[in-house]
Amino acid sequence: MSLMDSILAGLSLVGNFEAFFALFAGVAIGTIAGAIPGMSATMAVALTLPFTFSMQPIIAILLLLGVYKGGIFGGSIPAILIKTPGTPASSATVLDGYPLAEKGQAGKALGMALWASCTADLISNLALILFAGWLASFALNFGPPEFFTLILFSLTIIAGVSGASLLRGALSAMLGLLLATVGLDLVYGTNRFTFGDPSMMGGLNFIAVLIGLFAIPEVLAMVWDPKPHKGQTRSLGDNKVTFGEYKRCFKSIVRGSFIGVFLGSIPGIGAAPSAFLSYSEARRKSPNRDNFGKGELEGVAASEAGNNGVAGATLIPLLALGVPGDVITAIIIGAFMVHGLQPGPMMFILNVDIIYGLFIGLIVSSVFLFFIGSVAIRGFKYVADIPRGVLFPGVLVLCVYGVFAVNNNIFDVGVMFVMGWVGFVMLRNDIPAAPFLIAFILGPLLEDNFRQAMLMSGSSPTILFRGPITWFFWGLTVLTVIAIIRAGIRATRTLKRRA
Amino acid sequence: MKFAKFSAVSAMVIGLATAASAADYPERPINMVIPYGAGGATDISARTIAEPLGKAVGQSLIMANVTGAGGATGSVAVKNAKSDGYTMLFARVGSHSVNPAMKATLPYTLDDFRFVTVYEINPFACAVEANSDINSMDDLIAKVAEGGVSYSSSGVGSGLHLAGAMVLDEFGVEDPLNAATHIPQKGGGAAVTAVLNGTATFLCTNSSALASFVANGQMKPLMVTTKEPVVGFDAPTAADLGKPALHQLVGWTGIAGPADISDEVAGKWGEWMAAAAGDEEFVSSMEARGSIIDVMSPEDANAFIQEQYTTFRALVDKLGMRIEG
Repeated sequence: MSLMDSILAGLSLVGNFEAFFALFAGVAIGTIAGAIPGMSATMAVALTLPFTFSMQPIIAILLLLGVYKGGIFGGSIPAILIKTPGTPASSATVLDGYPLAEKGQAGKALGMALWASCTADLISNLALILFAGWLASFALNFGPPEFFTLILFSLTIIAGVSGASLLRGALSAMLGLLLATVGLDLVYGTNRFTFGDPSMMGGLNFIAVLIGLFAIPEVLAMVWDPKPHKGQTRSLGDNKVTFGEYKRCFKSIVRGSFIGVFLGSIPGIGAAPSAFLSYSEARRKSPNRDNFGKGELEGVAASEAGNNGVAGATLIPLLALGVPGDVITAIIIGAFMVHGLQPGPMMFILNVDIIYGLFIGLIVSSVFLFFIGSVAIRGFKYVADIPRGVLFPGVLVLCVYGVFAVNNNIFDVGVMFVMGWVGFVMLRNDIPAAPFLIAFILGPLLEDNFRQAMLMSGSSPTILFRGPITWFFWGLTVLTVIAIIRAGIRATRTLKRRA
Repeated sequence: MKFAKFSAVSAMVIGLATAASAADYPERPINMVIPYGAGGATDISARTIAEPLGKAVGQSLIMANVTGAGGATGSVAVKNAKSDGYTMLFARVGSHSVNPAMKATLPYTLDDFRFVTVYEINPFACAVEANSDINSMDDLIAKVAEGGVSYSSSGVGSGLHLAGAMVLDEFGVEDPLNAATHIPQKGGGAAVTAVLNGTATFLCTNSSALASFVANGQMKPLMVTTKEPVVGFDAPTAADLGKPALHQLVGWTGIAGPADISDEVAGKWGEWMAAAAGDEEFVSSMEARGSIIDVMSPEDANAFIQEQYTTFRALVDKLGMRIEG
């Protein structure tokens, strides 16, 4: 079948009102769910799944993909407006989005988040369509040793998001690494730091830690000292992103999109690390480097490009190999199976109409995302006008509800509140929360892959240097560490000169 | 423990004891706990049967995924729930025969549950990457003797972990724990990926998890553990290979309640399941995923699981695989 035939076959499958409506509804559901703190994109997809069982396969999958994409973007709305990432992937957006909102430029930040998300989404979808086969076979070169070096390199992000003091950032990261060890040991299956409590056996729930660390400290801070916040509202500010601003950030957006595509096509990493990596790369390269973390539009653009760049690319291992790349695609692969579809190389031959139908749907979804996103920004902007005395109790209720709903487990709510106090103490002492989060996500990946590599080689460390991919990441890591040390020395020198 | 009880109570949305007699059961919706994540094999199986089952029950079934610790978190929630039949669990081979056999520190035992049915049997299959030079179980065993063979699993103490060791043991490999390296992964998807990208040599897992990879020509099946051949798997059965002991190695999904649910409740579930499993749509969609629908009565289900547990436990003790501490 020629390409044209395939496209026509796909079009005949999705070229109807039902398919586009499912996609549209999916993006809308996802955006709203993502915008509610505690309702992550993963949860939204999981909740939608049972409803798709009775639908036609293509419509079911388009609906779920819409929810996924909408959810990843929607998460940035509360991240910017109330410092609470709606979904883990938008944690990096908080770093510059919230300071922008504080300055009364929430509208600009939201607008940039939307532009960056849609651009990255489009790039990611094109990468899927054009390079799926190639990227998938590349991703299969990633065994534990390659993963280990990639994660090791990613840990250097910590330096990029530590803010003024690298020492404080490192402290925060160490705390994150420590808490990430709670749960069952990967290789021996023994309990680690569970204190005999079955609820701790699964480790600390990621969403609970995330919400606890970002949202609860703000609420506590307000309760602690309510006066300065009394009746305070912020203006949404200038609603539009100018073309000049978009152009200025374009490089970071494209870079972020490619980081997203790259990390998305490798099974097992997910959107949050990609957003952080894109953010720290943008910061390193940007002429406005010093403004990052204080409300830099480019920071928002880079993080949103990083997380939406993953969305299309995670379908690469799913469609080309039949392997789910992250939690969300693991749910979507369930939908494929329910409908008797077997994702993998044969699907490109047996179900070529579905594959091309999906491609068409994905491209259209970027457009839908843009329109629904614009409407959502307009709708949610009133959140900025609500006095904090009313807003924060509402946020607290949503957080408790959302964290409970992740796992139907009250223990997670307890984790959220404990982490809230930890986050509050960190906030008071100017210890940044982002390194904690990165370490909490990457720590287990680093450990697991290291130990798997050691099992593979019979404990010989030379396996960590096998092949060009490991050498590449070792090289990057060394270069980055040298750059961080040099920047540190330079900073101390300037301080001394001033003194 | 306090939290666990709390969670059990609140998660199940159980009202106060209404002292309803068994004749009225069920007079309100029943909470069904799925101890694994959305989109996984257990979740799909549970949600597929929920449709015909809900009709048979005449009340709505509230499905909730309570995940974590290889199914332990959700299982504990049901163990601690009120045993009035309004909180039931979708139990699985991993959570209720492999885990209890392997983990000394598991916060529950088989005695904490009463099974009302096992409705789905899923054969196990062993497979290698398609381009591997291993073409049969004999090749694999010969390779093990040479050394350097490894197998992946979805985690320590999972069904896949036990299956790998059990198969090697049955085929006469001495000291299978050291002859082949076990490389645990996080989850079944990652376990398959590990074989695809060459991290591990082979794996033994549910045929439904392998079906798409076999159909796509990415993996080569070496054996299925059932008596009858499995559709789509061009591989000998355990019976063909003269290893009938491996017939015990099958996955299953069942429904259980806390240990002291009444006979009336168990009996009603027996009737409902018999009605639900007759649903044609349910049967055809489950069979399309490689499962065998075989509804067991409460008594048969308990006996089946006990037997499997005993087999697994004996193997675990023989090989010294039990996880302490």
